[in-house]
Amino acid sequence: MSAPLLSVTGAVKRFGGVQALRGVDFDLKAGEIHALLGENGAGKSTLMNLLSGVYTPDEGEIHIDGKSVTFNNPREAQAAGIATIFQELDLVPSLDVAANLFLGRELMRQGAVLDVPAMRREAKRRLEAIDLAIDPARLVADLSIGQRQVVAIVKALSYASRVLIMDEPTAALTVGEVERLFEIMRKLAASGVGIIYISHRLEEVPEIADRVTVMRDGRVAGITEPHAPQAELVRLLVGRPLDELYPERARSAGKPLLTLRDASFRLVRESAGWQPPTGVSLEVREGEIVGLAGIMGAGRTELLSALYGTGLAGRWQGEVAVDGKPVRLDSINAARKAGIAFVTDDRRGSGLMLRMAVGLNLVMSVIRRISPAGLMSPRRQAEAVARSFGQFDIRPKNPDIAVGALSGGNQQKVVLAKEILGNPRLLLLDEPTRGVDVGAKGEIYARLRALAAQGLGILVASSEMPELIGLCDRIVVLRQGRNVAEFNGGVDEHTVLAAANGREA
Amino acid sequence: MSDQKISVAANPAVPATAAPRHRVDPLAIVVRFQSLIGLVLVAIGGVIFSPRRHGEILFLNPDNIANIVRAVSETGIIAIGMTFVIITAGIDLSVGAVLGLSSVVTASMMISGGFGLIPTILAVLVMGIVFGVVQGTISSRFRLEPFIVTLAGLQAARGLALIVSGNQYINISYGDGPGLAPPVFAVLGERLFDNTVPVATIVFIIFAAIATLLLNTTRFGRYVYAVGGNDRAARISGVPVSMVRISVYAITGFASALAGIVHAGQFNFGSANDGMGYELTAIAAVVIGGTSLFGGAGSMVGTVAGTIMLGALANILQLNNITPATQLLATAAIIVLAAVLQSLVRRREGLGR
Repeated sequence: MSAPLLSVTGAVKRFGGVQALRGVDFDLKAGEIHALLGENGAGKSTLMNLLSGVYTPDEGEIHIDGKSVTFNNPREAQAAGIATIFQELDLVPSLDVAANLFLGRELMRQGAVLDVPAMRREAKRRLEAIDLAIDPARLVADLSIGQRQVVAIVKALSYASRVLIMDEPTAALTVGEVERLFEIMRKLAASGVGIIYISHRLEEVPEIADRVTVMRDGRVAGITEPHAPQAELVRLLVGRPLDELYPERARSAGKPLLTLRDASFRLVRESAGWQPPTGVSLEVREGEIVGLAGIMGAGRTELLSALYGTGLAGRWQGEVAVDGKPVRLDSINAARKAGIAFVTDDRRGSGLMLRMAVGLNLVMSVIRRISPAGLMSPRRQAEAVARSFGQFDIRPKNPDIAVGALSGGNQQKVVLAKEILGNPRLLLLDEPTRGVDVGAKGEIYARLRALAAQGLGILVASSEMPELIGLCDRIVVLRQGRNVAEFNGGVDEHTVLAAANGREA
Repeated sequence: MSDQKISVAANPAVPATAAPRHRVDPLAIVVRFQSLIGLVLVAIGGVIFSPRRHGEILFLNPDNIANIVRAVSETGIIAIGMTFVIITAGIDLSVGAVLGLSSVVTASMMISGGFGLIPTILAVLVMGIVFGVVQGTISSRFRLEPFIVTLAGLQAARGLALIVSGNQYINISYGDGPGLAPPVFAVLGERLFDNTVPVATIVFIIFAAIATLLLNTTRFGRYVYAVGGNDRAARISGVPVSMVRISVYAITGFASALAGIVHAGQFNFGSANDGMGYELTAIAAVVIGGTSLFGGAGSMVGTVAGTIMLGALANILQLNNITPATQLLATAAIIVLAAVLQSLVRRREGLGR
């Protein structure tokens, strides 16, 4: 048997006093898709950075085709055939696709003038090689996240072609785009490329991976085959059995909090790709967690943001009632007055002040309450912060550091804690666990359920079907802005998917 | 790599009454007080390199110190206003021109208009506020970059000032009667407390104290940080983002008008072309004071210290007969140093850039 394409033996990496890797062995075969799983801090990013030349290991070796190699910088790793696609794609949005593919290695005419036609032709050829019909003259800014992902892959492959490392490539993709990406990955693997696939989404693993390595605390916790039961993967990830990722459901719900009856949101100006709620009827009761399911573009996010007044300009028609009384929900102020709070799906973009301290972020939604007569009260602020830290296990336990330095899961806890401080009666959540590791997910679910038990109503939109099914009391399925079906929690995934896609189960 | 430092929590509901203190990055402390540290260093340098006469250190001469704090009071007042704007990630380029306009209006109201002291001062301050409100409203309503709007504001203020003054110096003469300004206005050019503390400096210090309280202890101050930190998140949290935006430009307008009044009182004339380049000096003082042009972070004390530091630096170089060219180069080096320090801290905190 020949040597693996790529192998790492006994890798150790320390940062100051922190040991990020404690002797890791890892290998990748040609033509293999190898999933690398681990919670935040497990060391998978460090391992990836060793392989892509960002760091050099303190101990241990990297071999390619059985020969020992050392990478002093990312360029040397690329020269050895290793390409890395980071989560934050290194594309320039204001340039077109071809210009991005050739960035830094432009084709020239007479050595001085950019040969744009040649670059576009070559770009088109490379894109078509993986069956992708994107016009190379389009601006990257005009592409969907999924299309950008593919452009980044094509770009990476033109630098290096033997090993492809992908860091959470599906985090921001729609279901359709994920399918498309997987097809491309399979095609690449079939041509002999070895792919290391890093993800938080356990449910994707059996679909795409040939082998799975799970890391924990800087070590390899286990290597398993992709069809291992999910419980087994979770046990490896968190180091103990986690039989109950989802908390038990409520026994009974209270009075109706939010009632929509044939409610539509009329936009002042139509906007392509923004699906307004159209004839929606649904109800969220006190103590109830209601899920919003639907394919991308079905109008889940739009429904939540129209209720909160953060979407496009427009107004509600039909019956919209809170506590049985009709309300006009046309602005953030109106929503907040009605006791509604909202957590966006984009915590970095619109949820947090990343450079500001955790404590300052936490009290944002209660500033009025902690500043009587316009003067900030340090005592009330400290009380509010302490309350949040008591409710959520935010790590590190320091309200003074910038929230941007926290992990995704901890940032998400801060966003949730912030809105909960405002004592809302109805909480609107959009993708509450996107980019959050399993441990933090479990905590967030438990906390949401506990809040519901105290009478909070929760309306949660998610593209993760297991999450909706596990967490929610009821699931409302949206299609083209309408509610087309409703199920109780615990329904099977295919039934919901069929309704979302407009098919018979 | 925040990834390595932060362990994952799987146990919910850990009781936490008081969050424990954590080690703080020493570099972050340096940056937090960078302009104060810089001020101390410049002062020490001033003592060491000061020329001496009969054994007396000229730098520490009370007259010299009074000169330093008087010379910085106008740009200092402007820098204080600018700090609010820059914390919201905005910029106001119109401040120097509004100072010129205000000095002209102050002089012409009292000399040609025959208005009394109080009506003149109130009118000029209101004019400054209105000027800022207009800029803030245009920028906020039409979603224009403050850079562009206030660049236009700069041109507009200079144009208005030239119209009002007819491109002439308007000299302020004091006395009772038409065409004369009330003598009490001249106090802005004098010193109080045994002829030690310049009145312009007192105005600067009082304004700085009020601004510090406004920024650090009020709801409005917190909103200013929030809008600069992330305006979308602020909006979702119910912060009146447009109102805050407009208000900070009203504050720079007010500050520029106040500086213009002080200017007219100190020099006894109004001139349409005065205050040129003050916007850049003020921005420099704010940045040296540790306020980030990216918004969301900054301190008023830093700005005040940064302003005085720049003044003290210019003074010590002047005392040693070092050319203005060298002064500019020294200022340039300090601005870069301040910015580099901030960038290092951001990177250490894992916030990139």
